[in-house]
Amino acid sequence: MSPRRLEAGELELGGGLEVLLAAALEGMPAGARVEVITPSRSTALELPSWAHASGHQAVSERAVPGGPYAVELERGPFARVLADPLPEKRPGPRLRDGELHTADLRSPAEVPAQADPAAGFTPLGALAERGAPAFRWTLNERDALWADDVSELTEQASAGQWDASRDIPWEAARGLPEFLERAVSQVMTFIAQNEYGALYVPAGFLADVNPAYPEMLQWLSSHVHDEARHVEVFTKRSLIGGQPSYALASTELSLHTLLDERDFSGAALLLNVLGEGTFLDLLRFLEHYAPDAATRAAAALAHRDEVRHVHFGISHVRRHIATDPDQTAALIGAAERRAGKLTEMSGLSPLLTEGLTVMAAGSLQPAELARGAREVRELMQTMEDNRIKRLRAAGFDQRDAQHLSDLHTPNLM
Amino acid sequence: MSRTDAEVRVGAVAYHPRIVTIWEAFLEHFDREGMPTDYILYSNYERLVEAVLAGEVEIGWNTNTAFVALEQQLGAQARILGMRDIDARFATLIVTRRGEAFGEVGELAGKRLALGSGDSGHAAILPLHYLDEQGLDAASECELVRFDTDLGKHGDTGDSELRVIRAVAEGAADAGALGEPTLAAFRAERVPAVFDLEVAWRSPTYYHCNFTALPSLDDALAQRWEGALMAMSYDDERMRQAMDLEGVKRWLRGDRTGYRSLAAAMSEG
Repeated sequence: MSPRRLEAGELELGGGLEVLLAAALEGMPAGARVEVITPSRSTALELPSWAHASGHQAVSERAVPGGPYAVELERGPFARVLADPLPEKRPGPRLRDGELHTADLRSPAEVPAQADPAAGFTPLGALAERGAPAFRWTLNERDALWADDVSELTEQASAGQWDASRDIPWEAARGLPEFLERAVSQVMTFIAQNEYGALYVPAGFLADVNPAYPEMLQWLSSHVHDEARHVEVFTKRSLIGGQPSYALASTELSLHTLLDERDFSGAALLLNVLGEGTFLDLLRFLEHYAPDAATRAAAALAHRDEVRHVHFGISHVRRHIATDPDQTAALIGAAERRAGKLTEMSGLSPLLTEGLTVMAAGSLQPAELARGAREVRELMQTMEDNRIKRLRAAGFDQRDAQHLSDLHTPNLM
Repeated sequence: MSRTDAEVRVGAVAYHPRIVTIWEAFLEHFDREGMPTDYILYSNYERLVEAVLAGEVEIGWNTNTAFVALEQQLGAQARILGMRDIDARFATLIVTRRGEAFGEVGELAGKRLALGSGDSGHAAILPLHYLDEQGLDAASECELVRFDTDLGKHGDTGDSELRVIRAVAEGAADAGALGEPTLAAFRAERVPAVFDLEVAWRSPTYYHCNFTALPSLDDALAQRWEGALMAMSYDDERMRQAMDLEGVKRWLRGDRTGYRSLAAAMSEG
């Protein structure tokens, strides 16, 4: 059988000829030959070295003085990539009005129930080459991580990004009366402190998640990024007025116990459903009573993000309990363990309730303060009512929901 | 099993830190093949040759220059226990700046010819030998520009050849000799100095490295070791990285036919 001919034209090795050669030889069986025709004596002289370095052989050379020159190459027996052959080309994922959504990259049935703990970073649709070093991921089960709408939530997170430097009317925060600025600064510091906890929890799980679940990685990354921005925006709001405030030890104790929870679903219950859920009501309250447009905008934007985080928590816990009813007791156990460590906490710090009262009152006049105190009491009631509703939505019965709500940290998060 | 129980000690020259990576992987392969082996590294081939001759190691992983030197010192034929596929078809290239290639080697007379380390078979000894065979006594007719930067390592580091091509590219030499695989590696790494060079001459092929043992090595042991070496596969994912580092895709049983030119060149020298 006469060999294929490949006209190199003006192409040289290192100048593109190697691409043509690799493509030609890749598609040929071992032992098949291609005759490379080149007008360049230099290229003809160099072709054997390229062939040998690439696992092929130069089997004959015809060097006609003045060219063109012909060098016959034989395809070597080795695969360039140590993996199975690539599967047939298939239709790409669908578009929604030109948009490519994460949820459309694969069907729910294609999400593996178990992933190989040693697997590497293999993007969806790719084949892993053998011989890579082994990893040791610890979160390798879909049901321990998943929420049915995780891809949609990730989509919303990307679409809902905002900028804590530019999207807040910072000028509006200047010039509040001192008593009010002190109250706002203390409340903002409290929130920022809690947002640290909300950042470290998903960040602690992120690097344990098997890369076979990129939707989860995107989701957790967005959660971490959201919380980093919340730390940023509430810290900035506290700083803009120049009024320092306290990072409270009681808050620290509460967050410390939150980070102790090393079960992903337990943490989703404690952080997303209970903690961030309770914060939804707090942020709504702050948005309503903010004395300035900057505080109002920060609370509103953070609220928008927290809605997603709470939604994920409810969605995950509900799915988790539905796939394995025994998990209900395990999740309650997580809340009880945490409450056991928080016995020395008697209630929300007076500094915070005072700050919230002053913000709601907007004044130090007795009548206004009384109204403010009433609003804060109502906030606490609203928080409890909504906490129970969220727990019910997550799949707990009324009795367990009440129990879990009662166990929730007095620190709110 | 402790490495000190190895049945075969292989000596190699540590011309780069990757030699440790290569040999650690190779030892695992020899273990899997039931041929417990250990390695001992030397800083230069002269020491390695001494070690083989003194029985400090059973096998030396020698360059062609080291192999010929060993046989000359031994005064007898040594035993070859395998070589890389690339060793069986080695060649030297002479490069020039683009557009300045020569047709006949005689045209190099009076020109500046850059060579790699003087103890390198492929970058110094053999190009002079083959040019001489083709009618050019380069040592007297050319101005030799030598880069003796890795003496003792016989050109293994590639450093002297990198200087050769830079000298040509920058105009400090008119032509320069280097090993064929070295140019392929420079191309693959996109070393800028090779962009504007062309290949003007290619030597006949010759043999390069081999595993050398003394003739006294036990036959059965030699065969077992060679068999274990031949069993190493480039399709084995545990070995591919180490084999890539060593520049081998397949091990071949060696013979001595490809060392005649170098032996002649070295006895002349």
